[in-house]
Amino acid sequence: MADQLLDVKGLNCPLPILRAKKALKDVPTGGTLQVLATDPGAVKDFEAFCRTTGNELLESKNEDNVFSFVIKRTS
Amino acid sequence: MASKTLYILLCSGEHEKIQMAAMIASVAAVSERPVEVFVSMNAILAFAKDASADTRYQGGTFSKLLKEKKAPDPITLFRQGRELGDLKVWACSMALDIKGWELDQLEDDLIEGALGLTKFLSDAENGQLISL
Repeated sequence: MADQLLDVKGLNCPLPILRAKKALKDVPTGGTLQVLATDPGAVKDFEAFCRTTGNELLESKNEDNVFSFVIKRTS
Repeated sequence: MASKTLYILLCSGEHEKIQMAAMIASVAAVSERPVEVFVSMNAILAFAKDASADTRYQGGTFSKLLKEKKAPDPITLFRQGRELGDLKVWACSMALDIKGWELDQLEDDLIEGALGLTKFLSDAENGQLISL
C-alpha cells in the first residue's frame, strides 16, 4: 500500500492535480501517494503530471470508474 | 528538462476566459512550468479586493453553469498555483493608472506588482504566449 492516500473523487479538473501536488509536498522522497479520482481526464492528466514533474507513476488502475494512481515521489 | 515559461496575457472580464486562464496557470505551475500572468483591461476589475462574488465576473451561459456546479473560483486557483509552483501575477501599470488604483486595491497575496507591457512582451520573447 502507498504511504499516503488522497481522495479527490467527485472533483473536476484541475483540482485533482492541484491537490496531488500539495499532498506530494508531505511525502518524503522515495515515498508513495495513492490518489483516488473520478474525473475522466485523470488517467492522461496524471501520466502527464508525473512526466513533467519527474515523479514516477507506479500504478494506474480503473475499478468501477474510480481511477487509482500510485505516485512515487522521486523529485 | 526545464520548460519554457508560459506567459498569459489576460484582458477579458468574462468569467469563462478568466476561469480558463486560472486553470491553465495553476496546472502549468504545479507541472513545474514557470508562469507569468499579465492582467489588464476588464480582467483587472475581477481582481479588485472589494468586488462581490456575484458581480466579480461578467459571463454568459457557461459562467452560470460554473457557478451552479460550484467550479473553483479563478482567484482561488491563481492563489493555489502561486502557493504550489512558480506562478506570478502582474497588474498592468496602465490599467491601474486608468482606474486610479493602487496595488493594495487588488486581491491580497496574489499580485506580484505593477508591470509595463514592454517588459512583459520582452520577457515573453523566450517563452510561449497565450492571450485570453
